[in-house]
Amino acid sequence: MILNIPFSDIVFYFVAVFMVLLSIAAVSSKNVLRSAIFLIASFLGTAILYLLLKAEFMAMAQIMLYVGGVVVFIIFAILLTSHLGENKLSTPISQKFLAVFLALTLLGVMAKFLFNTKELSESITQKSPEASSLIAYGERLLSYAPNGFVLPFEIISILLFMTLVVAITIAKKDNKEEK
Amino acid sequence: MTLLHCLILAFILFTIGIFGVLTNRHLIGMLISIEIMLNAANINFVAFAYFKAQDPTAGTLFSIFSIAITACEMAVALAILIAMYRKHHSLDVNTQEINHE
Repeated sequence: MILNIPFSDIVFYFVAVFMVLLSIAAVSSKNVLRSAIFLIASFLGTAILYLLLKAEFMAMAQIMLYVGGVVVFIIFAILLTSHLGENKLSTPISQKFLAVFLALTLLGVMAKFLFNTKELSESITQKSPEASSLIAYGERLLSYAPNGFVLPFEIISILLFMTLVVAITIAKKDNKEEK
Repeated sequence: MTLLHCLILAFILFTIGIFGVLTNRHLIGMLISIEIMLNAANINFVAFAYFKAQDPTAGTLFSIFSIAITACEMAVALAILIAMYRKHHSLDVNTQEINHE
């Protein structure tokens, strides 16, 4: 364990720098397809971070749902809508400065409250290995106990179904009107 | 790697997302920025569940719900994008009002 801590720290800082740089690249890239690729790499970095935080199931869900689902949605949307070589939408430089100012102000305010909170720097409870196992998640998700999550689970399933119907309806509606 | 470091990373990512939403004119670019912000929120959930929580399983399950809602949001967003593209043949958010008339 003592040998383990510095190595995981090094990996954490490396992944953190990597993620910040890739997110900046994803946000500021002119080509939308390229920024989707940067987004994939940033999400993979997040999955490594979840592995470091001993949430293996979250890392799997991150890779399967974000990289395999959400980014594929985005790439589909790009391929369906943009002509290649279009992406030349430039923002005025004043708006960029204003955005940097607002974002940095928000970061400053959040950091001010963060550094004033003393309890954050010490970590008290360490996770037991069983807490993040797949069995623990499954039992918690489907238990009827007061601390179980079966009701949100059902609501999420209904929401997913509704989303499918709504997405098909919205995407199809214009087609009828044109005819 | 303490809780503070994870929170700082999440805040920086959230700030980058806000910068992207404010500067991007392409609708898909704005969606990508929103994804980065949601991802930062998930990192917060998992970090608190690892370092502080009495009940780490529940803390991590919250971010699973948040990921599922993100997938729903992206499906609807894709449908809206396609409908908008059919009408306006552009995804530039600044010119939508002009094209509408």
